Amino acid sequence: MASVSELYDVGWEEMRDKLRKWREDNSRNSEQIVDVGEELISDHASKLGDDVWIIYEQVMIAALDCSRDDLALTCLQELRKQFPDSHRVKRLTGMRLEALERYDEANKHYDAILEDDPTNTAARKRKISILKAQGKNGEAIRELNEYLEQFVGDQEAWHELSELYINEHDYGKAAFCLEELMMTNPHNHLYCEQYAEVKYTQGGLENLELSRKYFSQALRLNNRNMRALFGLYMSASHIAASPKVSAKVKKDNIKYAAWAANQINRAYKVSHKPRPSDTGTHIATVKESANTNCCILGRGRPSTNVGFSIADADM
Amino acid sequence: MPIQLTSQAYCKMLLHTAKYPHCAVNGLLIAEKSKEKKKDGHGVPVLCVDCVPLFHGTLALAPMLEVALTLIDTWCKENNYIIAGYYQANERKKDSKPNQVAEKVAARITENFSEAAIVMVDNSRLTVSCSEPIVVIYDHHENKWRNREVTMGSFEDWSEAQKITSALLVGRSYENLIDFDNHLDDLRNDWTNPVINKSVLDLC
Repeated sequence: MASVSELYDVGWEEMRDKLRKWREDNSRNSEQIVDVGEELISDHASKLGDDVWIIYEQVMIAALDCSRDDLALTCLQELRKQFPDSHRVKRLTGMRLEALERYDEANKHYDAILEDDPTNTAARKRKISILKAQGKNGEAIRELNEYLEQFVGDQEAWHELSELYINEHDYGKAAFCLEELMMTNPHNHLYCEQYAEVKYTQGGLENLELSRKYFSQALRLNNRNMRALFGLYMSASHIAASPKVSAKVKKDNIKYAAWAANQINRAYKVSHKPRPSDTGTHIATVKESANTNCCILGRGRPSTNVGFSIADADM
Repeated sequence: MPIQLTSQAYCKMLLHTAKYPHCAVNGLLIAEKSKEKKKDGHGVPVLCVDCVPLFHGTLALAPMLEVALTLIDTWCKENNYIIAGYYQANERKKDSKPNQVAEKVAARITENFSEAAIVMVDNSRLTVSCSEPIVVIYDHHENKWRNREVTMGSFEDWSEAQKITSALLVGRSYENLIDFDNHLDDLRNDWTNPVINKSVLDLC
């Protein structure tokens, strides 16, 4: 098989820079990291200077993802030689044991780190990951809550907790986690948009209105966020179709939905989607279904079909 | 009526699973709409000719799922298809039971297609060689989803499906598979996967 450098006509510096970019983005493209990283360390390790250690760590973790225990062990041994008493390397040893499903041994490693250094967050988070891997979501949630009481600023942990709650269909608590994230990251459109999705799924008129507001906020922060645009359309349509709202609220939401529909149509046109039919038909259909849909996964009540048309919304 | 999978449907399901090994993935199964209503409908299998990969990661949120169902339903109507089932591969290797998300989406599909099935991927048996079928098919009987034995008869042509899926997995074609999440990230990404469909056809 041709080497990466031959296939893509790149030198070792470009490969090194690509690995750095993937580190910074925290992307989980493990197969690519293994391809590029394995070649880099076997052919060019001497040129990498001190970077080689962080690359060993990155490649090792990617190798675990790809079941390449041979490569993972090689990297780990180099790191152990260089940093014999390091907790960071001990954590990697634990991760390898996790990959081999030797969870008890892995836990022993992490407990040893924590005895030595009770503030070691990495070891605690690995222990929680083991619970997750074993399907013990309830315990993982409990441990993660305890962790967050101590380490309130750990955003990665708040996000993980929100995902665990979503998987357990506990949308209220997931929303709370996302609220924490939004408070500390007010300009992050992704957190806004996810919060809106959770509120929408929770269902009920109040949550729908909140979700519409946060979809709008996400759009304001990033007007290319398609999920926010679709979400705005869906939430506004549901609200407009609800029998509980006043005429003014209905009219306003029809306007919002129409605006969103327009923006969606424009976005599709701009992306030159080669669709056989007019996207306008799609939006009309989405509108009709939104009137009769209820939230599939949440506990929202079905809204009755009011039957307004996009044309009316322009008045 | 039991469902039957074509090579294209089976292959794209597995490619989706392989593309995101660390995530749960899900998608819809598509069948051709038959015009005649057979009186003795029992025993005639529903042929799932295609599948549309939906999401990866967090599956339990409603808004994008509703958007996807509606857009794909429209596409189906334009192409004389119908949404006939739902597939899901769970996040953990040893977990292949349908969960609440699967049951709720399938219930929704059943409103439009009474014989809808849930197809769960058995992650623990996923290999590149695809030596055996690794799906578990669930039908709705008496208010419960019960699994049915998967045989060669569950496929239109198992040896073809096996050959094509294995070839595409080895060739890492899953890197080019587009799911609805990818589409929402960039509208130019086409969730009908014409490129993969062509690769499948070329291998037939």
